[in-house]
Amino acid sequence: MDYTRQEMMAIATGREFADGELAIFGVGLSMLAGFWAQKNHAPNLIAFTEGGVFGSTPVGGLPWGIEDNRISANATSFTNAIDALGCLVASGRVDNAVIGAAQIDKFGNVNTTGIWVGDVPWSAGKYVLPKVRLNGSGGANEIAVGAKKYVIMANHEKKRFAEKVDYISSPGYLNGGNEREKYNFPGGGPSSIVTTMGILRPDPVTKEFYLDAYFAFSSIEEIKENTGWDLKVSPNVKVVPEPTELELANLREIDVTGSLRKK
Amino acid sequence: MRNKLISMQEAVAKYTWDGMQYAHGGALPVGTDSIAFGREMLKQGRKNLDLISNCNTQQSNLLAAAGAIRKIEVGFAGLEVYGFANGLKRAVETGKTILEDYSNGSIPLRLLGGALNWPFVPATINVGSDEEWCCAERPDEYPCTTKIPKITDPFTGKQVGVFTVLKPDLAAIHVTMADIYGNAIMLGTEWSRYELSRAAKKVVLQADFIVDTDCMRQYPNLVRIPDVVVDAVVYWPMGAWPACSTGVYDSDEKEMFAMNAALKTDEGYEEYRKKYVDSYTTVEEYLDVIGRDKVAQLCTNPTTHLMDPYRKWIKSDAEIKQLMEGR
Repeated sequence: MDYTRQEMMAIATGREFADGELAIFGVGLSMLAGFWAQKNHAPNLIAFTEGGVFGSTPVGGLPWGIEDNRISANATSFTNAIDALGCLVASGRVDNAVIGAAQIDKFGNVNTTGIWVGDVPWSAGKYVLPKVRLNGSGGANEIAVGAKKYVIMANHEKKRFAEKVDYISSPGYLNGGNEREKYNFPGGGPSSIVTTMGILRPDPVTKEFYLDAYFAFSSIEEIKENTGWDLKVSPNVKVVPEPTELELANLREIDVTGSLRKK
Repeated sequence: MRNKLISMQEAVAKYTWDGMQYAHGGALPVGTDSIAFGREMLKQGRKNLDLISNCNTQQSNLLAAAGAIRKIEVGFAGLEVYGFANGLKRAVETGKTILEDYSNGSIPLRLLGGALNWPFVPATINVGSDEEWCCAERPDEYPCTTKIPKITDPFTGKQVGVFTVLKPDLAAIHVTMADIYGNAIMLGTEWSRYELSRAAKKVVLQADFIVDTDCMRQYPNLVRIPDVVVDAVVYWPMGAWPACSTGVYDSDEKEMFAMNAALKTDEGYEEYRKKYVDSYTTVEEYLDVIGRDKVAQLCTNPTTHLMDPYRKWIKSDAEIKQLMEGR
């Protein structure tokens, strides 16, 4: 069957969502994966955006933003940031979510703030400017703190998968173990990292992410080579089932512009 | 009740100054914002501004490219699917603008704290991450203990972080429709405009439509910004362009990309400024600059039905002119 790595990543992410969950999606790939889950196997998945746009499905293509007209044409409710990110996310009510990452480490901490070259804040002992300034947290910090669980979605490249991130924009398991308890976060932390090669999951005790499954077109070797820490592999490591014809057809119906089909 | 309709030029001259703390809003990066107000600030040469931006928009992107921002406190610094905000990115990377990172949930909470005149706001978010430990304004304090300092929760004895509250000098807020007294209805997500309108010391509304007060009397529950918190109302159609105003006009997708591409360099900014800032004075000239065909095209979009209940109260340009003169 002919499908791209991006399509496999979107489908594997969507499979992490169950029917009936209350979920929050970000813009772009994350929204595609979420709406695909809704169409494919979770018709009662309730989704909203951090802007407080409820009950809508995109019109005329993938939205340019989570508040633009394409997602605002058929909403059942418009509320606000404190409602969506505060009352529903940071409070601990939302069941599941997806966030993206420019850089990610073995404890699932996410950097979307900047790329440093040479000294980073934690090695310099002061805030040094990033070489490349990225977008910052957005609403991902609230999701990381409050969602019962969430998926981190990232292209699998060595430079992105670091032993320790330059900057923690959104906290995963921090230095591992039960360190999240120190901050009384209501959420459970990231439940998986879905990449363009496979799926990583956290060890229940150490919270270090290990390789749980790989995509049929990838391999354990390829994934280890593209990971910046000494990635442990599950003794029960398996191959992720390939997309079925129906799954792929459903995805392509949602990805009308073919953004995931570019190789 | 006082008729608060004033011209854009007058609003910017009266309510803004160099070195002020200026807030704008706002529905995330590519939804609506008071972008025309920001253009007028550039026309009047405002500089050395401290911005409160829940999210970056094309307004903060433009002001940053102009070198007019000393510091920006922001939850999200990009333009979503349109990419990185080149003007702001460049100003931050070259050290011209100090960017203080928060998140999309913490900026509205700090505004709410300001609105309620609270001494501080408990921080259940942004703690345990570099938004707490890194302070761009005080870079030598690392890990920083003064940006989100810890206090003891008197009820549990646990340590809890606290945010400083925000009370900007001015908030320029985009609304879909307002009456001449400053009662306003917003279509689409409200984002943080409710908190912003109460936190700021002065509030100027930039409205796509001026409507009769009867409209507010028909839908009082939808008037989330009442006249009592508003100082001035500016009528400026297409004022969020090239971003969208839900219910009224769509994003000008081509121009969103073109504007951001221009702001990538000083030369591009200068050209943009000539073409889209210095090129008009009146609303009529502004609409000519966008292009009348383009305006008509953008006003046909999948959300126009959202305006249907309100259309009968919309004031015509001639009526608005009369109301301005009759002040």
